[in-house]
Amino acid sequence: MSRILLVEDNEMNRDMLSRRLQRRGYEVLIALDGEEGVKMAQAEAPDLILMDMSLPVIDGWEATRTLKASAETKGIPVIALTAHAMSTDRDKAMEAGCDDYDTKPIELARLLGKIEALLKTQNDGGTAGEHGVVQ
Amino acid sequence: MASTGDIQLRIPRQLLHDLRTPLSPILGYSELLIEQMREKGYEEFIPFLEKICAAGHQLNELLTNNFESETGDPAQDEHSGPATDC
Repeated sequence: MSRILLVEDNEMNRDMLSRRLQRRGYEVLIALDGEEGVKMAQAEAPDLILMDMSLPVIDGWEATRTLKASAETKGIPVIALTAHAMSTDRDKAMEAGCDDYDTKPIELARLLGKIEALLKTQNDGGTAGEHGVVQ
Repeated sequence: MASTGDIQLRIPRQLLHDLRTPLSPILGYSELLIEQMREKGYEEFIPFLEKICAAGHQLNELLTNNFESETGDPAQDEHSGPATDC
């Protein structure tokens, strides 16, 4: 079972998305802010991170830069989630090191496609035995 | 009431973000409930949930189509389009 770390401060979005991902067979870890997200990624080594960009303590951009700067977490794919819709927001997320980007409100089929593509790339090129099997 | 085609709304960027934020749980929970109602055989509730979902997608499309960037160009939202999950 693939493990996804969801870093999201909005309670309703967190609950809704974690339920929907669990129904699709993913184990979901939760962090409420950017700082907790970094710590949890370091401690739990998830297979993928869904990172809201507008976070308290440290924002999603800074959290992603921190993760991508560390040898132990740089290989974890990060999908930026944001309700901002401008192309510059996408550019900013990719410049921070995000591997993909999705806008809110989430279209689940689209997001699942991105998750599965990144997990497949991770398993094809990385250490599949360490991170589990793609659903 | 004027149609969205008649009025170009200038929605500040942060307000657009703040309006879209509650849309996520509105759409997400209604889609989740549709799935669960189908699984449990409670078909009579599904049309109501689909209406909630469709209204949420309509609002999202309205926000997307009427948002203008600081440059005056419409936001290039690759994710705008008709509802697919309801």
